[in-house]
Amino acid sequence: MVYTQRTPWTLIMGVIMVAYAYLVQSGTLAAFIKYLGTGRHVGEMVALGYIFGGIAIVIGLWQLLAKTAEGHVDYYLSTVGGVIFIMLIAFVVKWVLDPQMAQWGRAARPALGFNFASVMNLNYVVMGIIAGIVTVNVFKVPSWAENGVRLSRLGLKTGVILLGTLYSFAELQQLGKLSVVLIGVFVLGSVGLVLWWGARRNLPNSMTGVLSAGVGVCGVSAAVAAAPVVQAKSTEIAYTIGTILLFGVICMFVFPIAGKALGMGYITFGAWAGTGILNSAQVAGAALAFQPEGIETLKVAEIFNITRVLFLPIIVIWLAIWYVKREVGAQKVDVGQVLISKFPVFVIGFILLFLLSSTGIFAPARHYQGSYFDNSDKVMIKKDRAGKEINNYLKDADLDLLKKDAAKVKRDDQKAALQRLIENKKLMSIEDDDTLRGVVNAKILSKEGNAVLVKAHRAVRHTAPKIAKFRDLIAWFFTFGLVGLGMQITLASIKQAGGQPLVVGSVVGVIKAVGSLIVVMVFVHETI
Amino acid sequence: MPDFTHVLIASHGTPGAQAAEQSALAWCRTGGRLSHLVVVPDLWSGMMGDDWLNNASTRDTYGKYVEGELQREIDLHVERLRAQTAAAGITYEYKVMFGKPTACLLEYERERTPDLVVIGTPRPKGQLGLRSRMHPERLGGELMAPLLVIPYPR
Repeated sequence: MVYTQRTPWTLIMGVIMVAYAYLVQSGTLAAFIKYLGTGRHVGEMVALGYIFGGIAIVIGLWQLLAKTAEGHVDYYLSTVGGVIFIMLIAFVVKWVLDPQMAQWGRAARPALGFNFASVMNLNYVVMGIIAGIVTVNVFKVPSWAENGVRLSRLGLKTGVILLGTLYSFAELQQLGKLSVVLIGVFVLGSVGLVLWWGARRNLPNSMTGVLSAGVGVCGVSAAVAAAPVVQAKSTEIAYTIGTILLFGVICMFVFPIAGKALGMGYITFGAWAGTGILNSAQVAGAALAFQPEGIETLKVAEIFNITRVLFLPIIVIWLAIWYVKREVGAQKVDVGQVLISKFPVFVIGFILLFLLSSTGIFAPARHYQGSYFDNSDKVMIKKDRAGKEINNYLKDADLDLLKKDAAKVKRDDQKAALQRLIENKKLMSIEDDDTLRGVVNAKILSKEGNAVLVKAHRAVRHTAPKIAKFRDLIAWFFTFGLVGLGMQITLASIKQAGGQPLVVGSVVGVIKAVGSLIVVMVFVHETI
Repeated sequence: MPDFTHVLIASHGTPGAQAAEQSALAWCRTGGRLSHLVVVPDLWSGMMGDDWLNNASTRDTYGKYVEGELQREIDLHVERLRAQTAAAGITYEYKVMFGKPTACLLEYERERTPDLVVIGTPRPKGQLGLRSRMHPERLGGELMAPLLVIPYPR
């Protein structure tokens, strides 16, 4: 079979991308960029526009003019149109819709009393997923783009693998422990609850089995893995997947709004989203929606996602044994075969990159793990491009604000860290920085006092330019993946949500979301 | 009751569809032909949802399993109707189509040119089943043959 379709669209999209990059580079769009406030993205607009546009033009011409023959090359090249299609949507969303929505949000604030774009987290991640959902449901994914759209899964997996370079041993160890405990309790708990409740309501074992996997472990992926094992009927699969998709899309919007309203930090929100959101694809979406300009929340949430997927083979074996005990004639399962076939190979890639980066092979190890700490005079007093001195030490006015608020701090370690900051006009250690981040997150000081602490934090935390670019690359992989996954959420499948799976799934999903929120708020701290 | 030489029935095994099948059999004369359309709704193409964690073999196993399940359900349905038509002395033929139910029925009707088309009414609220339905308003405007819509059994 020949997969490549003779279409002009790849070429047209390539020309649009290259033309846009050229217009940005030549300054023709300077006024437009200034209006949108996207000056910081000019570099990536030019680079990505030329790279993807160039590839699309070459492949587009080949698709139009060359004679195609069956084979691997034909298949791989047939994916380019879809990849470019997703990237074009992502470009429009990130460089135009996102800043425009932010402006509309600010403009509507006096009338509405709140910034709707900020409150509803209408940033490029959320809008990218919505754009994907709208594309598939309103316009339909063009047939020449279908193979490329399927590659979005690979985009997400690649993003997770690359993310492996950004963890320290301590982070991975602590987040790993936390995620095993939380996921262990809530995954096993919700699977058990669905199995118990399903039996009480006399639901068929096949329906209870597939629903428990979907609600308990990682949503649609778990339902896909478990359905053949518990011999689910077609309608049971449709009800379950419809319910999970409906719940997942709602969670992707509700979780970041709730997280911000509750003043959650990156770690607490990442832990909550990673545990409480039913569907794993929406975990990444919610994490990036919560923190679109950084990946600290995503780092936490993805550890939880990885832990979930490592639980998946265990849950499938559990369900298989459970089903065989209840159904006469059910096929016995080969435990070894399930463990091997369901093992997520991309997790090995994640671990390998983590180990490699830990050796310092790519860059100094301290550069990888979030922002590195440096409070030396070299970074505290710098010169800008015009040669003007920038002094990042706290000013007397800042210190007065902190002294005025100091009495509000009750904990001894926080008092001591604040005192050292006031005495030295800068943060003196990573520990002090972490301790005072807790004060910021808990909003103990006045708004102005908090702003001073944030200023002190920014003065000593730095991101290596190489790592900043690497993070941008990871964010693009996730954006690509999430827009593409949005194109696989059809309203026709969501509409199938119903019957007992909707009742049981919704109740258990809410219990899991609220239960994990309470546990995270009570037991998880904002520092690792 | 008037009888028809060639009746087309679109059904998928639900109680409403089975009521429509019984009417179609009653309206088709002995020695006539019953063309049976089974639609696999295109909603199934979205039934892997946004799964991204599974590897290719798991997705492949799932895809084959769902296809097998749908095939098994269709086989049971077709065999039941085949037995009923044989008993009534009616020639039976069937076709499985993938897509939107209304569009599939219009295409099959153009292909088979029956004297009468029979369908069931949409499922009443509260009844379980897939949310995928025919649109009688569109069918009424575009079908060449008369359309008979059989009420849901109470």
